[in-house]
Amino acid sequence: MSDNSNLLVKLSLPLQYQQDLFNELRAEDELVILARGLGLLRLVANLLHAYDAAGNNLVLVVGADDRENEWIGEALAEHHAISKTSNSRGLKVINTDRAGVPMRERIYQQGGILSVTSRILVVDLLSKLLDPEKVSGMLILHAEKVMATSIEAFIIRIYRQYNKVGFLKSFSDSPEPFMTGFAPLATMMRNLFLRKPSLWPRFHVTVAESLEGRKRAEVIELEVPMSDKMKEIQSAVLECVETSISELRKSNPGLDVEDWTVDSALHRNFDVTIRRQLDPIWHRVTFRTRQIASDLRVLRTILQFLLTYDAVSLVMYLDTVIAAHSAPPGSTRHNYSPWLFLDAAHVLFQTARSRVYRGKITSEELPSMSTSFGASLQPILEEQPKWAVLSDILQEIEQDSYLNPIRDDSSSAILIMCSDQRTCRQLREYLETMHLKLDQSGDGTDSASNELGEFDSRPSAELMMRRKLREYLNWKRNFSRVNENLYSSRPSPSEVQFGRGLNSSRPLVPAQNRAPPNKRRRVRGGGAAPFVAVDGPGSTVQADVEQPNQVSELMEQLRPSGAEANLKEDVLVDDLEDTEDYYELYEMDDLIMIHPYDGDMDEHILEESRPRYIIMYEPDASFIRRVEVYRSSHVDRNVRVYFMYYGGSVEEQRYLSTIRRENDAFAHLIKEKGSMSITLSHDRSLEDPQEQFLRTVNTRIAGGGKLAATAAPPTVVIDVREFRSALPSLLHGRSMAVIPCQLTVGDYVLAPGLCVERKSVRDLISSLKNGRLYNQVETMLQHYQSPLLLIEFDQNKSFTFDAFTTASTPGPSFFSDYTLSSSGVPTTSFSGSSLINPSSPKSAQHLLVLLTLAFPRLKIIWSSSPYQTAEIFAELKKNNPEPDPLRAVQIGLDLTIPMASSNTGDVMAAAGIEHRIFNQLPQDMLRAVPGVTPKVLERLIIETGSIHEIANMNVEALDPLVGKEAAQKIVRFFKKSVFEEGGS
Amino acid sequence: QVLPARAALSTILVSARQKGNPILNHIKLMAWEYADIPADYVLGATTCALFLSLKYHRLHPEYVYNRIRLLAGKYNLRILLIMVDISNHEDTLKELSKTSIVNNVTLILCWSAPEAAHYLELFKSSENAQPTAIRAQQAQSYKESLLEFVTAPRSINKSDAASLISTFGSLQGAIDAQPEQITSIPGWGEKKVAQWCKAVREDFRVEK
Repeated sequence: MSDNSNLLVKLSLPLQYQQDLFNELRAEDELVILARGLGLLRLVANLLHAYDAAGNNLVLVVGADDRENEWIGEALAEHHAISKTSNSRGLKVINTDRAGVPMRERIYQQGGILSVTSRILVVDLLSKLLDPEKVSGMLILHAEKVMATSIEAFIIRIYRQYNKVGFLKSFSDSPEPFMTGFAPLATMMRNLFLRKPSLWPRFHVTVAESLEGRKRAEVIELEVPMSDKMKEIQSAVLECVETSISELRKSNPGLDVEDWTVDSALHRNFDVTIRRQLDPIWHRVTFRTRQIASDLRVLRTILQFLLTYDAVSLVMYLDTVIAAHSAPPGSTRHNYSPWLFLDAAHVLFQTARSRVYRGKITSEELPSMSTSFGASLQPILEEQPKWAVLSDILQEIEQDSYLNPIRDDSSSAILIMCSDQRTCRQLREYLETMHLKLDQSGDGTDSASNELGEFDSRPSAELMMRRKLREYLNWKRNFSRVNENLYSSRPSPSEVQFGRGLNSSRPLVPAQNRAPPNKRRRVRGGGAAPFVAVDGPGSTVQADVEQPNQVSELMEQLRPSGAEANLKEDVLVDDLEDTEDYYELYEMDDLIMIHPYDGDMDEHILEESRPRYIIMYEPDASFIRRVEVYRSSHVDRNVRVYFMYYGGSVEEQRYLSTIRRENDAFAHLIKEKGSMSITLSHDRSLEDPQEQFLRTVNTRIAGGGKLAATAAPPTVVIDVREFRSALPSLLHGRSMAVIPCQLTVGDYVLAPGLCVERKSVRDLISSLKNGRLYNQVETMLQHYQSPLLLIEFDQNKSFTFDAFTTASTPGPSFFSDYTLSSSGVPTTSFSGSSLINPSSPKSAQHLLVLLTLAFPRLKIIWSSSPYQTAEIFAELKKNNPEPDPLRAVQIGLDLTIPMASSNTGDVMAAAGIEHRIFNQLPQDMLRAVPGVTPKVLERLIIETGSIHEIANMNVEALDPLVGKEAAQKIVRFFKKSVFEEGGS
Repeated sequence: QVLPARAALSTILVSARQKGNPILNHIKLMAWEYADIPADYVLGATTCALFLSLKYHRLHPEYVYNRIRLLAGKYNLRILLIMVDISNHEDTLKELSKTSIVNNVTLILCWSAPEAAHYLELFKSSENAQPTAIRAQQAQSYKESLLEFVTAPRSINKSDAASLISTFGSLQGAIDAQPEQITSIPGWGEKKVAQWCKAVREDFRVEK
């Protein structure tokens, strides 16, 4: 930590504000909040390098994700190469995938710069595998995520408990989370054990001077108008949003709903905002409210896809939305997403389809008369307006660089930035094919290509769109069958009748009156979806609308012509190619690079490619700043930025509001900083001994007058998996000794005979349903005298289990994450027959009743929040002897799978410091597979590697593992083809 | 078997003390009758329940202990059905949790009279039921299992499941697919693709 060490170190911080910040950070501990895009990671990397080069350090980086680790690692290696310091060793990363206990111990002993996953770090600190006193300092990234109950806060607390001298610095580049709650900054500072906040908004004087003082980047803003149809779709979606929101208002009058307007709907996260408002009462809201909340998310995605997807992909997406949101026939209408019944939704689907193809005779006035479809469908294939603008810009750049060549340090590469990989691929294909024309000589009858041939000079996406449409039609053919297999059972005869009648008479009944399956059909009918009549005579749903010859004609029209056919190969191969290879293979000059926005990675891209021109295909506030930083850092490079957005679109609104919100957040923070009074008394060691003594004496007296007071604090043995929850941190905060162990039975051991299985409400239902809890309780009963089930509600959510499940809801169960919904008016919602039927329990209560009946000895603890749980644990521990960690670990081990017992040889593992052995998610997935019982699951995860492996095994291979019957079920599940007839 | 043959009847036995309790009005699906019993409700041959409103408990904290004592070790499963009708329930519930362990009663919380009645009905109707429903995964249709399988990773929703399976035809196809192929499906962003691929290819074991 010697301050002169940075004299030896070469830094890469050319700008004034960066240097100021660096010096400030070297001098004292603080929380740095930097505006997005101003190079936070670069600062962190430089700081780390300074410590790294000094040597003899053990610096921990907490809260970095994989990509940040990669970034920092690379930067440190680079710095090392440049400054040639002998001591620096670069970054070592410890995450779940690597490093067992002995290896971690070695790494900790070696020291250096370590980035450790929080959950591992907290366990290692608690078990003293890593002695907190040996840590010379800690850097916390993503400080905005450090809540009072989060693991990071827990880590800092342990660290500060034992180590008062090491440095502690934390960083954040998103000021927005600091705006919510009461005195958020002060709270955050308390969680971080820091005193000084340091705020660096874009409008900070030094920052502004650094970025604007010298040559500024040249920015050309282009407002691209949306096409009429896009506008129509957008307003239709907004209408759906509006109706959904007013519906929500109606059914939840108690909520603060003043700001739920369509204006806020244009805002980025309106669904999240609404969800947050509903969260406290989420257990109790009606099924319908939940459905609308989830609909809002779907609608927002549609808004976004409208701008980014091409017309064909959008239709394809809408098709899947319709299919997934329609319930099987026979269910009542209220299980449906209400917006699907709006006229606006009809307009939405119609318009989206009309951007792709239309029937020849069909006009707007006569939508979807089945007879009016006439002989054929015709492709329309509307292009995204931005594409043409993009090709214009490229042309302008070409001219510009030819006419005014500027010799400077930048390459003449053109960088195109867009939001994601998909857009990248789309643009790449467009740019590759835009100058290719349909080969007219190949097909004389192709009217579309004839028309097109006349406009030779214009670049067009014709070729690409035709390819997409072909793919879509092929997909659609299969999809109709999938749909039938998956999302609908055979409709009853009456519905078939209705369907037929609908088709022949074609009334335009208001959509609201429709029964759902017909609704779906109507939407399809409007677009004349291609169905091939493979269906037998009895099968119905689709058989009435389609005219197979239309589709085949459309396909015929789209048959690849000469140029297209040649091209097709290339495009397909290209699809699988990685973008990074795409540019790294070539010289930097005269290249067009297309990249998605990628946070701090963008800095590297700018540095590496040194582009002369940058086209921002979609707006991104932080990237603009990155360009500013890049431009100011390199005086000798010229940059021109083209900045594109759809005028009056969600995209524009979102961009503006991002900037506004960031500025607001900073203003808020500055204000709070000015009036903040922090009195920090983190120094718990001063009061600790006395408190400890008092506590020990107290408990012992109550425990029967034994005054042999040991100074040992009350101890709780906790399963390492539990460290993801807030409870261990809270228990530690209540001055209990927390011992992380690898427990086979139970989650918490409070006393030798007292074992607790903790379940959040969400877990409770799912683990009751899949039999996991039954097994867990069974083993707890075998080994402990008093097994407890702790039902823990969320802090912010309502402490209510008040759920009369909408038992009559046959709708898709995935809508409600668990069937804990309430209809508010309980009496209407369940029918007697389902209640009495014990073999198919419908409600959470019913499952719970079955559990208590099966295990009368099991006790249930209800807790309204983790805080309350900590209180209850403290209460339960009174008068009870302390648990023995070694015994707790050994319990149940002999019973379990051989895998676990092979680990017992390792002393450290037996002491439970080892983290989890099995990944949870793949197991959860396997549990859903028919034929997979707990026993089968156990065999599978021991004997096989991954789901991928199981999915590719045949009955013969699985038979010896799980038995013939289960093997057949499993194989059938994975291999079943949804394209086949007669499914489900 | 503490109680005589009467208990085998299909009715819920209600203690006369419970007269006037509003939850009695909500017991509609099962028959009930008054009887002279130490517990408030007898829900089966070996199951009984005491009813406690927290509001009452705050006024008469000793009441529930007397009642538990009166049960005198009868009944195998002793439910303490607690109606949470006060807002600052934390301390009371903490105390009752402790009591439940010491006195061998099982706490069940409810928040309204209909819910309380519902519990009573459930206990009675499930009296002889086998716990098959909570023992293992229930048989489901292919569609349900499929959706549960595909939507297990966070952020993958059912629209995604539909588009995934319809693109590759079978689950095996979807599992074998390369990330690049999945990315081309509308609705599947990079995050979802990464999650899906990780979930199906990740080793079951973290370390060997």
